[in-house]
Amino acid sequence: MSGNANPFEPPAGGLSLYLHVPFCERKCPYCAFESKVPSEGEKDLWLEMVERELHWWEARIGRPSLATCYIGGGTPTVLSGPEWARLAEMLESHFTFDADAEVTVEANPNSLSADHLLFWREWRTTRVSIGVQSFDDAELAQLGRLHTAARACEAISASLASGFSVNADFMFGLPGQTFRNWARTLSQAAASGIAHISLYQLTIEPGTEWGSMPEDELSDGYLPYRWAQWYLPLKGFGQYEIANFAKYGHESRHNINYWKEGDYLGIGPGASGHIKGWRYKNISGLSRYSGSLKKGASAIASGERLKGSRRASEAAVLALRMKQGIEMEAFAQKYGSDEESRIIKLLEAFPEDLYSVSGNRISLTPKGMRVANRIWSELV
Amino acid sequence: MILDKIRNFSIIAHVNHGKSTLADRLLEETGTIDGRNMKAQLLDMLELERERGITIKLVPVRMNYTAGDGREYILNLIDTPGHVDFTYEVSRSLAACEGAVLVVDAAQGVEAQTVANSYLAIDLNLELIPVLNKIDLPSAQPDRVKKELEDIIGINADDAVSVSAKTGEGIADLLERIVRDVPAPSGDPDAPLQALIFDSVYDNYKGVICYVRVVNGTLQPGKNIRFMATGRDYELDEVGIFRPDMVKVSELGPGEVGYIAASVKSIEEARVGDTITEARRPATVPLPGYRKVKPVVFCGFYPVEREDINQLREALEKLQINDSAISFEPENSAALGFGFRCGFLGLLHMEIAKERLSREFGVDLVATAPNVVYQIVLTNQDIIEAHKPSDFPEQVKTEEIREPFIKLTIFIPEQFVGAAMQLCQDKRGTYVSMDYITPERVRLTYDMPLAEFILDFHDKLKSCTKGYASLDYDHIGFRTANLVKVDLLLQDEPVDAFSFICHADQAYHRGHAVVGKLKELIPRQLFEIPVQAAVGKKVIVRMNIKAVRKDVLAKCYGGDITRKRKLLEKQKEGKKRMKQVGRVSIPQEAFLAFMDVTKSEEK
Repeated sequence: MSGNANPFEPPAGGLSLYLHVPFCERKCPYCAFESKVPSEGEKDLWLEMVERELHWWEARIGRPSLATCYIGGGTPTVLSGPEWARLAEMLESHFTFDADAEVTVEANPNSLSADHLLFWREWRTTRVSIGVQSFDDAELAQLGRLHTAARACEAISASLASGFSVNADFMFGLPGQTFRNWARTLSQAAASGIAHISLYQLTIEPGTEWGSMPEDELSDGYLPYRWAQWYLPLKGFGQYEIANFAKYGHESRHNINYWKEGDYLGIGPGASGHIKGWRYKNISGLSRYSGSLKKGASAIASGERLKGSRRASEAAVLALRMKQGIEMEAFAQKYGSDEESRIIKLLEAFPEDLYSVSGNRISLTPKGMRVANRIWSELV
Repeated sequence: MILDKIRNFSIIAHVNHGKSTLADRLLEETGTIDGRNMKAQLLDMLELERERGITIKLVPVRMNYTAGDGREYILNLIDTPGHVDFTYEVSRSLAACEGAVLVVDAAQGVEAQTVANSYLAIDLNLELIPVLNKIDLPSAQPDRVKKELEDIIGINADDAVSVSAKTGEGIADLLERIVRDVPAPSGDPDAPLQALIFDSVYDNYKGVICYVRVVNGTLQPGKNIRFMATGRDYELDEVGIFRPDMVKVSELGPGEVGYIAASVKSIEEARVGDTITEARRPATVPLPGYRKVKPVVFCGFYPVEREDINQLREALEKLQINDSAISFEPENSAALGFGFRCGFLGLLHMEIAKERLSREFGVDLVATAPNVVYQIVLTNQDIIEAHKPSDFPEQVKTEEIREPFIKLTIFIPEQFVGAAMQLCQDKRGTYVSMDYITPERVRLTYDMPLAEFILDFHDKLKSCTKGYASLDYDHIGFRTANLVKVDLLLQDEPVDAFSFICHADQAYHRGHAVVGKLKELIPRQLFEIPVQAAVGKKVIVRMNIKAVRKDVLAKCYGGDITRKRKLLEKQKEGKKRMKQVGRVSIPQEAFLAFMDVTKSEEK
């Protein structure tokens, strides 16, 4: 278990992997991610294509060692036991894993089974991230989730019992969500034994079932977020990032790697990756994704390499997601002192209670995190 | 060209009485444009004109017409704008003509501008041909309207031509009447050249193109011409006529209407109203020109991005070439940086200029609330002119403030008299007279501050009279008034672009409304923004724009950082379109808050 390793060190092996499972049992009405209910044969097709994509990469980067691995979706628990076995075997044959590698799998309370937990325990999994969303049955029904609060509790208990470090995702800013409901959900979460909590605000994305809902019917999310920032640290969950709270030592190294501009491969349709300053995005849609791979081509749809100020700005924005903020000396070394002073000057134009300077670091205060979008948009 | 075969005429009408449609029918009937190439309102060249259904820019056109007497005539139609803001342009067109077709809607009758335009034409010695349009409408009352023409304007309407520009009925009769009644021009082809410039446009290749009416002599390419106002000489590159597109011809003789191009680079060199003569044999006197029109409404135009100031200047210069009634001079606002104080003939004129700048020249600009010119008598008895609120001296140095007044004539059905009088009163109008022009229709006359009129009087009058009112106005000079300057402060700093002048009694009310509107329009920012209105040092209204308390959506799924960055960049772009005043980002609409406020009062 990744236990007490300092999460803010770069991954020892230096590489992370994100693997996207583009399937779910039912499409949620707010979801804009790459995901669909699989039709006959699609899961096999996907596995086959992931294999091809892994081959494509191996031909270029060899068989690197992974510091972290994250299998997300979609709903990875729609994969059956044998499908999981095949997937794990593929990963084992194309990568090695660091001894303390953090391996996270996402699970849906409805489809998480004892078989899944058993297999994951056997196969180097350290974290399970559960899409709980709410402990209120009415809210879950409204969100179109297939599980109940009771089912979510069972999933958490079973995962904990299997010895995993457990994360749960929760959503706030739902239409009709009362403050009482939210506070109850959080207090239940804090007492459930999990070590990590991710909070997401509902956003209305075009093209989803809820896409035509007028956005101004949603609350601004201030109260639930503000509450979480006050309440969760009291219960031992520090806010180490805009959306993430964790007990000490249970911060997600995979996540932190994103914000520290670490390298990560993105595998699967619509996945994103970043290698040495180059960001890429895979082709979306299983059929177009596999079409390209079948021809022997790559799965990459587009890529870009930011330079100069834009790259420095992006790095600053990413770093400011974290409580740790920007480590200025290292920043200056990487991007030059001109960029360092530009970023400092931009930040200093903000009201003083939004950012803090401590030693060599500049970071957002909890109040700054609440308005981070405004601050970031000045920096890009 | 034989002079007695030329007829030069304009069509004058109140807005919406069917002038442009009638012009379309004349073009069709004379075969100038065949039906297939016809689009509605053909002579309204500007996209804006067609959209708004109004005529702004003059467009001349030449038609060939074989009359009932078997002879072929040349008819030059010089279109005129209909809106009251553009009365000046009407007089320019009329000066190039010998006759005018006076169009009156047979259902609506004589309206305020019918009267104003008729008198303009009569003043210029033009022959008037009264035409009753829309006689196909069931509500048409030709006899009543004829009586109105006789009673109100005093012209003989017995033989008014009845037409329907929509169906084409009566158009042939009208053409015959034009040939019969509009006097042929007189002029001497051998006399020294005299040609009146009645309009101009700018062409990127040919330079300034002057629209001219030749009075004496002839214009031929190759000749050296002189603009009499500046005394500068040019070689004539091209002369031509309008069909309605420009078509080159070998010469233009007396009585003819056409255009010339002489590689003139700037509008200042070829002023509208100037006389063109021949350099080798100049005329001794210029033709009577027109007085340079004085803008009455001013506002500041500022580029959204400070570095775009030169782009704005170039666009204004080009616009001025096409619309010489616009004036502009550089000004500097503490809040908005460098920009231009621009003068216009009226509010519609201003709105159109603003829209043309953005549509035709792609300029992104902020316009400040419009104001009139004030005369200020200082304690030392000096008189200064204030074109903008920041020209106002401190209160202690001010002896007296004078503002421009207009005499306003309103025509309304009698059931709306009460509402219209109430409106005039609210707008600080002084009653002058009221008379029944027919048992059902009333002419109201008021003296009113121009400042009150330009704000929104026209819109309000229309809404309180269900669109039945028509109006016209004349400037009648300056009068003393109890006016104050109201300053708006953001974060305790005055923002000069928001200052406005109003009557002392209205300062609190308007200050409150503007502060409220700014509070609504200025988005929440990362700090609290106090918004205050003050007269002199005294704060009369204060509200706070609270700081934004949450703006973060945490989702950044599966490491898709590029997407997140693009969203942030988009958010930044949105902010860029706002104007930075100190630390505060202000959306462009906010600069017109004062107008929004007065407009929403009626709701």
